Amino acid sequence: MNGNIYHNRKAQWVAYVAVFVLLALVPTVFDNPFTLNQLARYSVFALLAVSVSLIWGFGGILSLGQGIAFGLASYGMGMTMQMQFQNPEYDPIPSFMLTNELETLPLLWEPFLSTPVGLILTILVPTGFFVIFGILMFQARVAGVFVAIMTLAMLAAWYSMAYDMQPFTAGFNGISPPLPLQIFGGEVDPYSPLAYWICVGVLATLTLATKALLHTKFGLIVQAIRDDAERARFLGYNVAYYQVVVFAISGFLAAWAGLCWVMIVQYVSPTSMEIAFSISMVVWAAVGGRASLLGAIIGAFMVNGIQSYLGDELQQVWMLILGAIFIGVVLFLPRGIAGLLELILSKVPFGRGPSGAQWSAETGTEEKAS
Amino acid sequence: MTSVLELKGVTRAFNDYIAVNGFDLTVNEGELRCLLGPNGAGKTTSLDLITGRQKLTSGSVHLRGNDITHMSEQQIARQGVGRKFQVPAVFKELSVKDNFEVAFTRERGPFANMAVMRRSDGEARYNEIIEIVGLGDRLEVPAGLLSHGETQWLEIGMVLMQDPSLLLMDEPTAGMTEQETAKTSDIFNELKGTHTLIVVEHDMSFVREIADIITVMHMGSLLAEGTISEIENNSVVREVYLGSEGIS
Repeated sequence: MNGNIYHNRKAQWVAYVAVFVLLALVPTVFDNPFTLNQLARYSVFALLAVSVSLIWGFGGILSLGQGIAFGLASYGMGMTMQMQFQNPEYDPIPSFMLTNELETLPLLWEPFLSTPVGLILTILVPTGFFVIFGILMFQARVAGVFVAIMTLAMLAAWYSMAYDMQPFTAGFNGISPPLPLQIFGGEVDPYSPLAYWICVGVLATLTLATKALLHTKFGLIVQAIRDDAERARFLGYNVAYYQVVVFAISGFLAAWAGLCWVMIVQYVSPTSMEIAFSISMVVWAAVGGRASLLGAIIGAFMVNGIQSYLGDELQQVWMLILGAIFIGVVLFLPRGIAGLLELILSKVPFGRGPSGAQWSAETGTEEKAS
Repeated sequence: MTSVLELKGVTRAFNDYIAVNGFDLTVNEGELRCLLGPNGAGKTTSLDLITGRQKLTSGSVHLRGNDITHMSEQQIARQGVGRKFQVPAVFKELSVKDNFEVAFTRERGPFANMAVMRRSDGEARYNEIIEIVGLGDRLEVPAGLLSHGETQWLEIGMVLMQDPSLLLMDEPTAGMTEQETAKTSDIFNELKGTHTLIVVEHDMSFVREIADIITVMHMGSLLAEGTISEIENNSVVREVYLGSEGIS
């Protein structure tokens, strides 16, 4: 059989690992703190694109609400880091609360006095919210564009809440923890290689775990539900259950992105839940190729890289440029950069010839899931 | 013989319009039952009611004595009812092989299936199915690229992969060429006896090839039931459905 190396699982794993190893080696070449911090930010965006790729590209659910998980986790992390600065004895309350006439620490903030509890809540709350929100939507068989509308509306609601609950969230100004994250007796300087490695490490671990998950039968069924939910239901699968699980996993990934984000920017505000930001995540995944996790990562790095290196005049019209890129991809490259790569690699003979025959015998039963 | 499926007074009303009206049906083990009737007679709606896609207004459905009237689609599927849709439904972006793999449903829960590496099982089973429906040379092809006939066979194969005790086939030969229809009737004749089937079909030559007993529906109710010759000679059936010239 004339195979395409793009669909070969071993080759896929090699490509994934190679990309992450390259990313991990960056600090040995560049030691410019600004560049490292910027690349760490891109890795966070890449993780968000992976979460979109999972839910949209593989699950067939277009969620415009990934910013909910990202934003909730960002606030969780911001609160955790803020409380690390406060002293329970003589300075228990963040200063913005005092200016908002709060005299005691609100109950909402209490758990964040403990860093481990704060970090666990940072991941658990967004994931839990996605479970509940997912149950409400998918149990009622909401599908297609209606999921996009509901997630968008929910995102807008959280945005206004973060904006309006000024005594608790510092409103529009947001929370700027004065100190970097203190952990294991040290601190994570946002501009250090350590912070960069944490971000890349989280991205690599979660992406590889997601990829492994997609290679299980669970992953196959998720893709089957994307293609035809009714057919899957009549095979006896509880479609809503699967959708809730995959939605929650995508929220879990976005939550980790939020955690890493605040670690490297030391700031959280309602902009983390802005609608335009969540839509950008979808664009990154679409440009890179939503049916490929690695493609989504490449898309996030590319789009953000382009944005950073455009001149100041062009920054003004960035949203227009982004829109044009998106339309171009939708029209000419519906499977994104990954799809282009798939097409190019299909021209390259693979799995033929004397040494190739063995490969194809061994991998002939493999199937695509990039 | 034991009855596999038993419908009693099954009724489905949409406001004033009664799609299925007090329909009774008993299908026995190993039988291939053909469901005939003009458009709007309630054939597909009856399948919807059996499989839980629509809820009954009144009446009951029993599968091997178990009441499945109020179960959800996936529960009924798990009880052993497999269904092929009128418009073929397959997973278009997945390969033929993966379609079979998804249809092999030993574990149903998401977490149980996270531990199942793909293609670890099911292989022996789909080799058996491929013997019946063909497609052995098309395993790596995405299902969306199959011809119409092949798509129909794939879906029949997927329903078999489920290993159901009752198979419901909604117009399996719709849109098929003559050769494809001939192959499909071979498939059904092979299934007959070892499987229990209900086939909704319009193509009378196909029905003649495969049917044991025919049930004719009209206006949502049972009109007649009998062997092919009984039905062909039934004057009421001729009048409402087959036309005065009889079955062509």
